[in-house]
Amino acid sequence: MTVTVPAPTGTTPSGARRTPPPEPEDLELLLLIRHFELTLLRLFEAGELSGTTHTCLGQEYIPVALSRLLGDDDFVLSNHRGHGHFLARHAEPYGLLAEIMGREGALCAGVGGSQHVYHRHFLSTGVQGESLPVATGVALALKGTGALACAYIGDGTWGEGAVYEALNMAQLWRVPLLVVVEHNGIAQSTPTAAQMSGRVAARAAAFDVLHHRVTSLEVGEIRTELAPLVAMVRQDSRPLVVEFATHRAGPHSKGDDTRSPEEIALAAAHDWYDRYARLFPEPFARIDRERRELVERIAAEVTARPPSAWERP
Amino acid sequence: MTTLTLAKALNEGMRKAMEDDPKVLVMGEDVGKLGGVFRVTDGLQKDFGEQRVIDTPLAESGIIGTAIGLALRGYRPVCEIQFDGFVFPAADQIITQLAKMPLRSLGKLKLPVVVRIPCGGGIGAVEHHSESPEAYFTHTAGLRVVACSNPADGYTMIQQAIRCEDPVIFFEPKRRYWEKADVDTSAPADDWTPFDRARVVRPGADVTLLAYGPMVRTCLEAAAAAEEDGRSVEVVDLRSLNPLDIDLVAESVARTGRCAVVHEAPVFSGFGAEIAARLTERCFYNLEAPVLRVGGPSTPYPPSRLEDHYLPDLDRVLDAVDRLFAF
Ligand SMILES: Cc1ncc(C[n+]2csc(CCOP(=O)(O)OP(=O)(O)O)c2C)c(N)n1
Ligand SMILES: [Mg+2]
Repeated sequence: MTVTVPAPTGTTPSGARRTPPPEPEDLELLLLIRHFELTLLRLFEAGELSGTTHTCLGQEYIPVALSRLLGDDDFVLSNHRGHGHFLARHAEPYGLLAEIMGREGALCAGVGGSQHVYHRHFLSTGVQGESLPVATGVALALKGTGALACAYIGDGTWGEGAVYEALNMAQLWRVPLLVVVEHNGIAQSTPTAAQMSGRVAARAAAFDVLHHRVTSLEVGEIRTELAPLVAMVRQDSRPLVVEFATHRAGPHSKGDDTRSPEEIALAAAHDWYDRYARLFPEPFARIDRERRELVERIAAEVTARPPSAWERP
Repeated sequence: MTTLTLAKALNEGMRKAMEDDPKVLVMGEDVGKLGGVFRVTDGLQKDFGEQRVIDTPLAESGIIGTAIGLALRGYRPVCEIQFDGFVFPAADQIITQLAKMPLRSLGKLKLPVVVRIPCGGGIGAVEHHSESPEAYFTHTAGLRVVACSNPADGYTMIQQAIRCEDPVIFFEPKRRYWEKADVDTSAPADDWTPFDRARVVRPGADVTLLAYGPMVRTCLEAAAAAEEDGRSVEVVDLRSLNPLDIDLVAESVARTGRCAVVHEAPVFSGFGAEIAARLTERCFYNLEAPVLRVGGPSTPYPPSRLEDHYLPDLDRVLDAVDRLFAF
């Protein structure tokens, strides 16, 4: 079984093609998410966190690119790997960390945790495939308002039948649904080649759903590429599948990486972090330090908070 | 005798079943290369190949549906559902096909499919990863529902489930996966306790605790603690929920006169309700107190920090014992 991750064509891992510098706000958001995720892994190691967590290391640029394409009235549905989706949507890292840790100020009183957040037009679930029919319903309700529903799903989730029931209804009823596929070539330990026959594009085509594949790793470039398509989802009220060729730079959840060293190295080579550090040392080093320190402060503050009201006996 | 963890005992049991019968297949998400998230199928793909240990797509409904098709043509699939909370996408196939086809054909059609489900909490996991969905399946006619509680039973019961001609929902208490015990892997199958029989795992005279899966161990600990208070507690491991070994259960309760059923699942409409009703029918005149139920509250499984409040523990079981005597 070989891993068949579509290689990004827009930018080579080495940055050989000219990489446009990311805007400072985007870099701030990227690095906020990165340090948030790294901090979670650290808190787990220190025994401050329990349960489990799935980090989006390496994939942060996807929700960051989408963040400015979404409006306040849009509804985002997320999955098990959702911290980045949330932070790119709402600048509430304290609330999210408090939710994950069960501390005062938690987004959902600590009831939902890492995978089940419901907060201001954002809803996540840990059960694969379940969100897409729900997203279709939300989109149906939003039809004609100019707002859309945006659902993030992984490549492995295309194994679930609910995905196809939803795509059929979404196109049949012409609902403004943006399906964002984070195609990182793997589902837990199972490579895409071992779990998916055919391609996402052809599956979308089977339902007459528009499909667009993004290979760029650059936030600005992606945004320019997607802006007219997302506008079309709103204006013409129709579903769109945007498939990102991406890489999971970290383990599936915590320590469980079954990939070979070569596969892990390949994923790491696509990570934006080292590339930006190298190409744009000035703003990067400063913003990196600022965000790291910010997340450290957030973690220290939230850790010191009392348990969320719901958790007190 | 060899000392095995429950996970390893199940693994050895499956290995034995696969050696004995080339029609036995293992299928599920990440069961092959990874060996399952709990490593219960560890090494099986390496030894039996990708034709017999099949890594499936993320598709619970598809897994059970294809298992049914394979069983229709003589195979004996053993399906792993990665976590309890992910059995629901498969519930349609289990309830409307797997359970009903054999009954509808008046037994002409056999579906020897085993659905293994790591169940219950206590490992610091989250919602969907810690649930106890047994009552959904005991409520469905046509399914055998069993739960192992220890390595020795894990080894034999998984083999009995695989050999059984009926569909079996096989619950494995995930928090007990790492607990070790002696397992006699050389005892002939004829000597094994039939897998639809309950077992008295600790004899006692004053009260009967009925449990299965993860709570058997908890009840044994409670029984040991109660003994210090001079109370003689009998513990029965139900092992099979459907069919229910009501004769053994009723005999025990008629003798002790007091009974509490202990499970992790919510008490409301839980499996304990069925037992309480049956015991009222069978043992009414022997009962010194109403049959009590100890279980989870009717809420979604909480974040892991709070699972100690959710899960029945020694104190809650002993409290039930106190209430039985105080009645
Ligand atoms: C219905 C269901 N079955 C199984 C799981 C366990 N599980 C959690 S994440 C995952 C893999 C998901 O892969 P993919 O959709 O590619 O997303 P990625 O993790 O790569 O982001 C699995 C099998 C689940 N969450 N839901
Ligand atoms: Mg994936």
